[in-house]
Amino acid sequence: MRIPVTTGLHRRMKLKSDVNDNDLLRLMLAGDEEALSVLYRRRQGSVYRFALQMSGSRSIAEDVTQEVFLFLMREGHVFDDAKGTVGAFLLGVARVHVRRRLRAEHRLEPLGDESDDDDVFMQSTSDICPLEDLTRAETIESVRKAVLSLPPKYREVVVLCELQDVSYGETAEILGCAIGTVRSRLHRGRALLLAKLRPAADVEETGAATVRCFA
Amino acid sequence: MNCQRFETVVSELARGQMMAAEQRSEALAHSDECDGCAARLGDEQMLTLGLQSLASEMESLEAPRELEAKLLEAFRTRPVVVPIAKRSTSRYWLAAIAAMLLIAISVVVFRWSNRPADEPRQAVKQEQPQPKPDVSNQFARDIRKPDVEDSLPQRPKPKRIHPVTLRRPEVANHVTKEIATDFIPLSYMSAASLQQEGGQIIRVQLPRSALANFGLPVNMDRYNEKVKADVLYGVDGMARAIRFVQ
Repeated sequence: MRIPVTTGLHRRMKLKSDVNDNDLLRLMLAGDEEALSVLYRRRQGSVYRFALQMSGSRSIAEDVTQEVFLFLMREGHVFDDAKGTVGAFLLGVARVHVRRRLRAEHRLEPLGDESDDDDVFMQSTSDICPLEDLTRAETIESVRKAVLSLPPKYREVVVLCELQDVSYGETAEILGCAIGTVRSRLHRGRALLLAKLRPAADVEETGAATVRCFA
Repeated sequence: MNCQRFETVVSELARGQMMAAEQRSEALAHSDECDGCAARLGDEQMLTLGLQSLASEMESLEAPRELEAKLLEAFRTRPVVVPIAKRSTSRYWLAAIAAMLLIAISVVVFRWSNRPADEPRQAVKQEQPQPKPDVSNQFARDIRKPDVEDSLPQRPKPKRIHPVTLRRPEVANHVTKEIATDFIPLSYMSAASLQQEGGQIIRVQLPRSALANFGLPVNMDRYNEKVKADVLYGVDGMARAIRFVQ
């Protein structure tokens, strides 16, 4: 029988993976490096994807992710667990950094037809036929561009509620607004997305006017 | 349900969000009857599918692995933030407690150092009820001569006499019983020799006219009465000085 060999570090990391985010943050602020590592691995994905979906740029997403966790190291004591979760706190910090970065780079303007230079995160799926794969990829790309072309206040709601699957309540915490505001912005954002996607769909559907599908 | 109300719930309906069952069934029934609302619902559902596809496509995306190493390195070299306010507060408390302890210890030590001087003095008072030895003792203290004190009547002597204890209330009360003049050197003695030498004091009674011999006023109404006086004799047995007591 082979006994799995685990180092002390891995064993401690495994133990810490059972600890909740609040305790991990507390441990990290007390100087526990492993707690930071576990917390980072648990939360970096959502922060990175949020920044990527908001900016459409890998480099900005990486910078924002780094800034968010550096902020957590320096100012993590400002987190109040009575006001929300660590995940929502991190996304709130990420939102601030994304907006600051986009404002600095004048990226808040709606995107044109030219694709971003480093937007290579779309990967093809191999389970379906090439034609369907191409159609699906084109559809996803068109949705992605439509999302990126939304005004920031609608874009962040669509990204959080639709792409990050964050609840209305947590979205309200992240944005610092009421749940009703989140609902109305989401409704408005979806309407704008439909308006942006419909012409493309209509062009594709020339000769088949009854079909409105674009996905 | 009409088209206007349908518009308010179509997003929630397409996203599969929680809503009242009755409202949901009404909205679906309306979409069956209204072609425009059915198309609107179809658009919303397609949009939801498109967004879900985008989300699932990006679900596996993560930050580069080297970013974690950079952050851990930054964590190791970060400046440690010390909560200064809390620590300084606790220091103030410690300083205050230390000061209070120091004051308490000082009071205890001060009282303890004065305690031995009180007890022998009470013993002296009990052993010497007559005023005469006390007067001689007072004189002995005035001239500050140990050999003079040795010649005085034997009594228990305190190990340590603090200057403050000499002005204790019981001594003052005793002194106030008799009013005495300063020691007046006799004609053949100088005041300096009186300070240097010790001796013995003997109380005597003299005619009141003796006051006049030393330049003191005499009450003529009490001319025939005696007056008390303390005569200081030196170690050689000769009278050195005299003081009058009332």
